[in-house]
Order: sequence, then structure tokens, then C-alpha cells
Amino acid sequence: MKTILAKKLGTFAAGLPGLLSSAPFLLLMAFGFVAPLLCVVWFGLMPPKTFDLGQMPTLENYRIIFGQTYFKSILWSLGLALVTVVILLVICYPLAFAIAKIFRGGGYFITYAIVTSLFVSENIRLFGWVIGFMKNGVIGGTMAKFFQISMDSLLYDIPVIILGMVYVYLPFMLFPLVLGLKMVPDQVREAAFDLGASRWQVFKKIDLPLSMPGVMIGSLLVFVLSIGAISEAKILGGQKIVTIASDIETEFTYAQNWPLGSALSTLFIALTTVVVFFALARFDLEKLLGKKSS
Amino acid sequence: MAVSTAPPIMEVSGVTKRFDKFTAVNDVTFEIYDGEFFTLVGPSGSGKTTLLRMLVGMEKPTTGELRLRGKRINELAPNKRPTCMVFQSLALFPHMTVGQNVEFPMSIRGVSSSDRRTRSFELLHLLHLNPEIYYQKNITQCSGGERQRVALARALAYDPDILFFDEPLSAIDAQLRKVLQKELKDIQRRTKKTFCYVTHSLEEAMVMSDRVAILRKGAIEQIATPDEIYSSPKNAFVAEFMGEVNLLPITTLGDGTAHWHAGRNALPPLIIKIPTSSMPMAAGIVCKLLIRPESLRFISRSEHAENMVPVRILNEFSLGSRIQYHVEIAPDWTLIVERLREERTTATEAILAWETRDSQVLEA
Repeated sequence: MKTILAKKLGTFAAGLPGLLSSAPFLLLMAFGFVAPLLCVVWFGLMPPKTFDLGQMPTLENYRIIFGQTYFKSILWSLGLALVTVVILLVICYPLAFAIAKIFRGGGYFITYAIVTSLFVSENIRLFGWVIGFMKNGVIGGTMAKFFQISMDSLLYDIPVIILGMVYVYLPFMLFPLVLGLKMVPDQVREAAFDLGASRWQVFKKIDLPLSMPGVMIGSLLVFVLSIGAISEAKILGGQKIVTIASDIETEFTYAQNWPLGSALSTLFIALTTVVVFFALARFDLEKLLGKKSS
Repeated sequence: MAVSTAPPIMEVSGVTKRFDKFTAVNDVTFEIYDGEFFTLVGPSGSGKTTLLRMLVGMEKPTTGELRLRGKRINELAPNKRPTCMVFQSLALFPHMTVGQNVEFPMSIRGVSSSDRRTRSFELLHLLHLNPEIYYQKNITQCSGGERQRVALARALAYDPDILFFDEPLSAIDAQLRKVLQKELKDIQRRTKKTFCYVTHSLEEAMVMSDRVAILRKGAIEQIATPDEIYSSPKNAFVAEFMGEVNLLPITTLGDGTAHWHAGRNALPPLIIKIPTSSMPMAAGIVCKLLIRPESLRFISRSEHAENMVPVRILNEFSLGSRIQYHVEIAPDWTLIVERLREERTTATEAILAWETRDSQVLEA
């Protein structure tokens, strides 16, 4: 009994320097992330349209949510996020391949060009698109002036929302993919080719599995960011569709119904977590990464 | 094994490779015969790797022609060539098991999974890897020597006409390397495959090869069997590349003797006898005289030899059964001597002697 206690104390003492050095971050996470999260979850259990955390918990908010059409917003958010991930994978994989394996030095130019675009705030860039797409905007006006083709506004529809999301989240897919593809050793690709594999077989059997960590990280990053997206649908999509993030914002601001907003947030966080954990369990990220390191 | 009179399996004729202004391989011509162990050897920067990459199709020659079984293959991509290569890095597939690695070329060809399994078990057996243990093992769990064997098994599974090797043993420690060299030679003999090996170590080439081509600055200096290269190196470069030898700078005097010049000092040259049987020597030819360290011996004052010179013994190094001495005739004018351990001397002054027939005149 004594020895077990001594052992436990020993392990604790051995772990102490690690605990101490990670303390600042742990504290930040505790007060900046865990505590607010718990507040939101708790607030979701308060009666609707109240601002007091000290009341009897109730599931009233969730009853309202499931009784109304919030699921539509959730489905829109999920759908848009998934479509964005898929489109970005298709666009970015070849580009990442070019940067990682073909351009070598020249790839830096593309990297800088894309990073520079991040220096401009997302909303300003989206309003730029608005000027481009609106009736008699850059595109419409040009077509009318030079080709006498009159065009309606291209804005306020689903394709333009997706375009906006694809545009905004491109770097978050591209760079993990570049890193993932850089982890594929050139000689391993050459060896597969030398052993008779066609380009397609090299892609399927070598490039894709070995760059999977990049694919997973990029996809998860874009998914998590774009499922909470709000500006694209608002600025480019007008009132065409409502995303869940926009619903939540409405509850906290215009409707002044914090408990309902909190309940929606909780539900949304839970949903995202389930999807991400499902993806992580299916593709063992650590195993994929671990295999490379040795 | 022996060089046959049959047409060569691969012909390399006048192959040159230029990168911008740099010529990596310069007008190289040679043949590889069916079933032989052929080795390309040269120091780093000699163009051996570039040459190999052209042979397997990863680079295209600037000029010249490559023929495999009489057919031009210059433009044929590596995956269309019936040859394959074991890489220096081995380039095993890290996300696959040993079994999947070995079966890779067969699965590309669409061989049925039961046939693949049978063949990969055979190959693992051949390479002394127990399939029961290794088939399911991950590549990352294998040691360096095991990975070498897996890489070779994978290449053999492709069933290539010629199997190329790009210094796969260079990263292995010396002891294991010696074991693997002999194993490789043994497997080549048992499979009767044509092996073409590239290395920077002539010693390694000599152990394994039927024929050796020595490269220098993108050109071939000598192609011969290991025996021929040892007994009659074509020039001073080849002789020096073989290891520690004495190459004496000499100027022929035309009467079977030569002036042996000191290194840096302006000392008067010594007159030594040179063999004249191989080539008639005019006077005034500047060349090198090759004397192997083991051909030099110490003699007592009463003995006599064809060539004798008093020396000081500077250093002695143990080479196991032999002892190597560094001796000097004058400062900066040194020679290497190797004697058996039984003949060890502790003197500091001695008379060095050698027979003229044990020396060879080589182009400088």
C-alpha cells in the first residue's frame, strides 16, 4: 500500500516540471475556453428569454429548437461545409502537388501570393466580390458596355456563396496539403513508378495514402471553419439561405434570447464534435503521422 | 556467370548526359551480358548515378543510344521498362507491410492474391526472412539489414531483365555490409539474374562482381574482371582507386632504369630499375611506377636485392594479420609497406627492397 502511494507520488513528482511549464497554457484554456463553454452549456438550460444563470435548469430551449425549423439552418451549414471541403480538395490537391513536387522554388511565389491575400480582412474581400458580381458591377457592367449583353446580378444565390467559401478557406486546405505531399519521399514515388505503376496507380497507392495526414488536417480545418461560416451567406447570399451561425447570432442580438442561442450553440458544437471525432476515428491521424516519423 | 559469347542484354553506346554546360556522363560505351554481375564504380562526381538513372529511364541521354535486347529504349519510361532499381534510400513503401511491399509489383500487374502470396513467401525465404514473422510486419519495425532484404525481394518480385542497384549498402555498418555483399552475390548466382550495381567502393565491387567498369569524370577508365583490374590496372587512377598503393613519380631513362623524383624537395632523384617487358620505354617519359605495399620488404645489410634504399620507419599500424609501416626516404618522400605480423620489426632505420618484376609502369 505504502509502496503504491510512493510510486504514485514519484510519478507525480516526475511529471511536475511538465505540468509547471504547461501551466500558463492550461490556465488560459481553463478560463478562456472550458469555462465559457460550460457557461454556454448551462445558459442553454435556462428558461427562454432570461438573463439569469441561477434559475432551475429546463430543456425548454431544446423543445423549441426541435419544434421549429432550425434543422434547416443546420443542414445548410453542414451541406455548405461539406461541399466546400470537397471542392477545395479537388482544387487544392493538384495545386499542392505542383507546389510540393514540381515548382520547388517557384512554389514559394504561389505561397506568398496566397498568404498576402490573407492580410486583407475577410469581409473586405467578400465585399470586393459583391462589387464584381452585383447588377451593373464589374462583370455585369463590362458585359453590358462591350458586348451589349445585359446580365442580372450574380449575387444572392447558392453558387456564389460556395464560391465565397471556397475562396476564403482555400489557404486552410492548400497549406496542409502541401505539407502532406512534401512528406511523400520522391524516391518512393520513383520506386513505385520503376516497379511498373502507372501515374494513376502511383497517385492511388503512394501519393494519396502518404499525404493522408495533410488531407485529413486540411479537410477538418476547412470543415470546422466553414460550418461556422456566417459572412459568406450574409454578404454574398443575402437572405437566400440562413446558416446556423447566423441563427445563433440573431438569437443573441436581435431576438435577445440568450438561452435559446446558447442551446443552439451547444447543439451545434456537439454536432461538429461528433463529425470530427467520427472522421478522426476512421482515419487514425496519429498512426498516419507516427508512421512517417520513424 | 562467365561472360558469354551471346549478344549482350544491354548495350550502351556513346551515351552522353549534359546538364546545362556540365557534362555528367561523357560518351560512354559498354555492354552488360545476360546473367552477369556488372558493377559501375567511381568516386563521387564521376557520373555513376547519372549513368544509372539513364539506364533505368529516370533520365534521358543527351546523345547516344541505350539498347535492351537489341531494342532502343532511350524514350521508354521506367514503368514500361523490364528493369528496376534498388534505391540508395531503398524507397520502401512506409505505409505498407513487408508482404505488401514485396507484392506491390505483382499487384500492379494484376497477379491473383494467392499467387502473389506464394511468390512473396518464396522470395522472403530466399532472402532469409521467415515469412511467418515478416510477412505481416510493418516496414518501420524492420532493421536496416532487414529493409535491405525487403527491398531486394520487392525488386525480384518485379522479375526484371536487369536489376540495378544504386549503392544500397552504403548506409550499412561495415560488418553487416560484408555479410550482405556476399549474400547479394549468392542470390545473384542462385536467381541467375543480371545485376548491375553502382558503388563508390572498388573493394565492394571486387568482392561481388563478374566485371567492373571504373568511371572517372563521366568517362570509363577501365572495364575488366576484378582479377584483371587487380593484376593490371590500366593507369595510375585505377591503381590508386583500388586502395593504398605506392605510385612513384618516375622519368624513364631508356635503359631499363628510371629517375625516381622526391616529393616536394629538390633532392636529387634516385635511380631505380623498371620492368621493360610490358612496353618498350623510350627515354624521358614521365609516368608512375606502381609498387604494392606487400611487395616491399626490409632486408639486412648483408642481403642484396634489385632495388634497395635506406629508410626511416615513421609509424606502424596494425591491420590484423598484417602490419603497415609508413617509411620515409627523406622528409615528404614516403612509402607504405605492409608485412605479415610474424616479420614485425621494431627498428627505426632499415633498408627497403623490392624486386623489379613486382612493380608496374603506368600512365600518369
